[in-house]
Amino acid sequence: MPDDIAEVYRNTYPALVRFLYRKVWDADRAEDLAQEAFARALVHRPDNTRGWLFVVAANMARDEARKAAREKRHLTLLKSEPDATHTAPEEEIDAETQAQRVRAALDQLTPRDREALLLWDAGLSYDEIAAQTGLARGAIGTTLARARRRLVEAYDAGLAGGGGQHAARG
Amino acid sequence: MPHVDEGTLHAYLDGELPSAERKTVDAHLAECTSCRAMLAEERALLERASALLGAARPVDRAAPPFEQLGVSRSRKRSPWRVRMPVAWAASIALALGVGYYLHEPNAASLTPRESSGIAYLMEQRAADANRDLPAPADEERKTSSRAPSLAARSKPAAVPTTPQLYDSVTVVASQTNKREAVLEAAPVVGVVAIPPAAAPRLRNAEPAPAASAVAKDSAVRVDGVIVASGASGAGGRKERAHLPTTTSWPIITRGAARSLLGTEPVGLPGLARQIRRSPTADGTVVVEQRIDSATTIQIFQRQSGMDSSGQARYYYRQQEREIAPADRLARYVGRLRVEIAGPLSTDSLNKLLDQVQPLP
Repeated sequence: MPDDIAEVYRNTYPALVRFLYRKVWDADRAEDLAQEAFARALVHRPDNTRGWLFVVAANMARDEARKAAREKRHLTLLKSEPDATHTAPEEEIDAETQAQRVRAALDQLTPRDREALLLWDAGLSYDEIAAQTGLARGAIGTTLARARRRLVEAYDAGLAGGGGQHAARG
Repeated sequence: MPHVDEGTLHAYLDGELPSAERKTVDAHLAECTSCRAMLAEERALLERASALLGAARPVDRAAPPFEQLGVSRSRKRSPWRVRMPVAWAASIALALGVGYYLHEPNAASLTPRESSGIAYLMEQRAADANRDLPAPADEERKTSSRAPSLAARSKPAAVPTTPQLYDSVTVVASQTNKREAVLEAAPVVGVVAIPPAAAPRLRNAEPAPAASAVAKDSAVRVDGVIVASGASGAGGRKERAHLPTTTSWPIITRGAARSLLGTEPVGLPGLARQIRRSPTADGTVVVEQRIDSATTIQIFQRQSGMDSSGQARYYYRQQEREIAPADRLARYVGRLRVEIAGPLSTDSLNKLLDQVQPLP
């Protein structure tokens, strides 16, 4: 029997937006996609709404990324220009810089590690993550351990300015 | 038991170990200092990773009401309808004033480096604009004293030198108390609107003498002016209350705009700019560029085909029907639909729109 979607919506919407945001890196787009996922759930009435939502959301984010990559490729054929300075308020730059660094660090994870980490952070259980990623449940802990370590290391390496020392950890 | 591996420790810390296994781990940890040390280390790692992820999260916003799911997407207000309240008379004065500058004889073939009107203006004002951009409050104060003098100074000059511009504005001005008639009768195609930052201060400013009588009459204050060609003036008429100004739109970087648009944002080369995005999730970006201290041009843009899903496409088309007869000042630049607005004449806006290109 299908879940009460309204209930799932209340409990899961922010987590779904957060999950999507870390894939598309645009808050508006993430909200848009999350709402679209819920709208689709209303039509499909899946048995496990929460799990279903994250699968659909991941697929939508993947489509977005592909599209963006295609456009980027196309664009670089046309021209390549350096980023110019902009006039955002200071605190916004800081928050944005921070987010950019985390994003860059996340980019260095393998897709599977990243997916597991984002799903865990969105509130999914090991069982749900296993169902979604196809990993064995017993492998989730190891996957998350590796994902967390790589995230922190990549972030620290980014802070050191790329050329600096890598923060090697035991 | 052998030492606990890191995957098990993470599952342990995550509270995801089955209870039997958990008891075994607890028992081992009680007597193994090295595993306890490792547990502490893994806990620190876990918290650090979690904090990092926390830095990369969107601003928490309330979820839209559940009941609106599936409906809200087609009912969002179009960003193209966003026009700010305008002191009508002041907009005429400004259009005349700035239009005078822009309507130099060689303005038709402008490039930023030529010594044409706009280029001159850009170079004259670039430093000014740069200084003003980050400080809207300061700007507001300055402009309120500047605006009337600009209007007063330029109006007489505009009359003899720019007959074409003057004609179109006169038609509008002479009917300011009949806005509907204006919209239908105006012989030009285009958008004349005061940028949001300018609107409030212009209302507070002392109006130019010629326009003061009109400005005092609240009935002629309009929310935005969309001057459309004769047959299709219906477009912008109903936009009254609740018009958000773009001053509340979040400022974003060019990179963010690029990812939102799927391509480079466009604008006028050689001018300082500020990029904002629509607070609704419709993928609209506005590039605001200051031509001089009282004149901000807004260049609205978004992907012409928003989404791979049919729904978004439909949503877009529906908006188009609602507000945009095809003759608005809009055009496609690459994959972007671009619209321009600003307190300038249609002619000037059109010429500026001609120059819009991907921003360096």
